[in-house]
Amino acid sequence: MEHTEHLEHTETPSDMKSQIWKTFWILLGFTVVDIFLYFVLLSTHAMWKNWVFIILGIIKAYYIVGVFMHMKFERKTLMYTIIIPMLFVIFFVALMLIEGDFTNLLRWIK
Amino acid sequence: MSGHSKAVSKEELWGGGQSPFSISYGKMMMWYFLVSDALTFGGLLTAYGVIRHGLSEPWPVGEQVFEALPFLHGSFPLIYVALMTFILIVSSVTMVLAVEAGHRMDKKGVVKWLGLTVLGGLFFLSSQAWEWSHFIHGSGGGFQIDQAMTINATDDKNQTLAMDLTAGSWVHFPAELGHAYEHYQDHIEQEGAKGGKIDLDPTTGKLTIMVPAHDHDHGHAHDHGHSHDAHADHADHSGHDAHADHAEKMDTLFNGDLELIVNKYVLVHENDQDYRKMHVKGPEAAKLFNNMMKGSTAFGANMSKNEYGPQQYANFFFFITGFHGFHVLQGVIINIVVWLMAIRGVFERRGHYEMVEKIGLFWHFVDLVWVFVFTFFYLI
Repeated sequence: MEHTEHLEHTETPSDMKSQIWKTFWILLGFTVVDIFLYFVLLSTHAMWKNWVFIILGIIKAYYIVGVFMHMKFERKTLMYTIIIPMLFVIFFVALMLIEGDFTNLLRWIK
Repeated sequence: MSGHSKAVSKEELWGGGQSPFSISYGKMMMWYFLVSDALTFGGLLTAYGVIRHGLSEPWPVGEQVFEALPFLHGSFPLIYVALMTFILIVSSVTMVLAVEAGHRMDKKGVVKWLGLTVLGGLFFLSSQAWEWSHFIHGSGGGFQIDQAMTINATDDKNQTLAMDLTAGSWVHFPAELGHAYEHYQDHIEQEGAKGGKIDLDPTTGKLTIMVPAHDHDHGHAHDHGHSHDAHADHADHSGHDAHADHAEKMDTLFNGDLELIVNKYVLVHENDQDYRKMHVKGPEAAKLFNNMMKGSTAFGANMSKNEYGPQQYANFFFFITGFHGFHVLQGVIINIVVWLMAIRGVFERRGHYEMVEKIGLFWHFVDLVWVFVFTFFYLI
């Protein structure tokens, strides 16, 4: 069996309904946490604060893509063709933010 | 749905004749369409990030800009956006329940859940329309100052602090004064110096704004391009000719103590102190008012001017939330079409509800994009 693949393992799990509702409560919970933390951290001016919101966003994205869009139950090969281009987008965003900081620095020098 | 899987050797799997991804052509292409759409949104968010990082002016803060609720007065920071996010998440759940009903060939279930998804989408769209309208109209407007100055301002804890304002800093009007000043400015633009009069006592900060009372009779020329001019609406158009000879009479638009707001939409952090929403009254406000940069006033927002701060802020707001809203609109339209097809039994005859799965993928993607728009535009 080592050199074989199972073609039909992309089935919907039998407890899909309860998984959907569980995911709903998780997403709702994280949205409430988002807003709550926003006000708690209002007078905090540190870089990690942004990371808190970005990580919360990524967790929510994981649940939406994984359960609602069924990605968790699709074949890994399909998953990689979708996730890897998105990693390049994140890389590009990071590069451009650094670029923006340099623009700001040049304005300041002027 | 056979419950057992078919074992295929690796060479055979990638050798053609079957889907190596074990997914239908339509669903696979929907996924790749979403990848390309994600690249588009990624590009928009990247542009937003690079511009925001590259500016030296402070960027407006989400909860200070978006703090209104329809039909209610007062301050409800970010509550409306949170509600919109909640609606979109709920509509995602109803959509995935429609997909699940489709797997069971449950026509009634698909119709019910898809119908609720359409309702959620319409609710979100109308919320966004309201938010745009509020953003475009603004809440009083403001101006930039010409030269750097130090001003005494009071914060919401009634603490008076000396603030250093740089040239070009924004100062905002309270709503009532803002509307009066906007109207006065329109008059000056139309009629030159005789179009209005401002009296400001620099020692007390007492302000009077007046415009000629005959104005409403000039009619059409003035109406052009000022459709949201609140003052023009209360003009009694029935009595035009009767008033024509009262040319020197002045209408008082505002008469009271000048009060201005500094850092209304931004939060400046200096010397371990947060400076936001600072009120300036009396002679201090008069100093600010007399330091107004010529032509810098803005009331609400459009593509070339806005009261919130950097122009790019409003432009990105319009473009990113607009492009997302356009996606929601497309989603709602396709959802309605698929809903009608489900009601007519098209999918039942076809033997599967895969169409619901495909539109479901698109709908969840729209929800996903909103998660990031919400994070990057409102929270960070």
